[in-house]
Amino acid sequence: MWIYQRKLQYPVHIKNPDARAAHIIVSQLGGPDGELGASMRYLNQRYSMPFRDITGILTDVGTEELAHLEIVAAILHQLTANLSPEEIQNSPFAAYFVDHTTGVYPAGADGAPFNARALAVKGDVITDLNEDLAAEQKARTTYDNILRLVDDPDIIDPIRFLRAREIVHYQRFGDALGIARDRMNSRNYYATNPEFDR
Amino acid sequence: MMNQMNEQPRCKSLLRELQLVDFSLYDTVLYLDAYPDSKEALEYYRTLLQERKSLAAQYEKNCGTLTIESAENTQYWDWAKLPWPWELGANL
Repeated sequence: MWIYQRKLQYPVHIKNPDARAAHIIVSQLGGPDGELGASMRYLNQRYSMPFRDITGILTDVGTEELAHLEIVAAILHQLTANLSPEEIQNSPFAAYFVDHTTGVYPAGADGAPFNARALAVKGDVITDLNEDLAAEQKARTTYDNILRLVDDPDIIDPIRFLRAREIVHYQRFGDALGIARDRMNSRNYYATNPEFDR
Repeated sequence: MMNQMNEQPRCKSLLRELQLVDFSLYDTVLYLDAYPDSKEALEYYRTLLQERKSLAAQYEKNCGTLTIESAENTQYWDWAKLPWPWELGANL
């Protein structure tokens, strides 16, 4: 189970509302490489993972992703809470607004609602850890693209934090893959899948 | 006003310190998950945990409840009244 801590992992304080930025950043909530998919990917991969230390990495990285989901949601909330109808009308955020007003809803930048196809649970140690490594890099690229499109320092600061965490998580999943390989057939890692073959 | 407790300047800096220590603590936890026999990392974890406990206790005493398992000394159920972390005024 989880216990909620009444604080953000990293502070968010955005003074100026910005509909255009919200339209872009929502992708890291519910887009293909967003934090909702990240948390669900790792937390669901845990159950059939036969190595307890790797299960620990999945649990703790997955939990941190829930904290990141909240940071992205806080960014979206603060970017949109005080928008005027005029500011919305003249922005690409108008299409989101008509369905969700300024509520926080997991969708991609293209407006598509969150799709569980954004994540995979294959039930195979090597396959899932490679999925996780790729996922962290895809999220890092998305944050890099967001940084190319926004110039408000209040937005840039927490986005840079989230980007840096993708890199650390990539390191830990790399460690996990090394741990798994050390325990498998060194001549053919694919000879068996320890999540299924007994 | 009691329900504005965590908006005091001291609470803002306490919260920031707690976020800094918790960040180091969590990053150390991820490292320990991959290197559970690292004595150095475990020692660092213990140092951070002491700092964490002290800061969290100070924050909860002066600023408000952090988790529903730690509201031992509140005069009333502040969980229902304090600002939520995503509110604009809740962060530095």
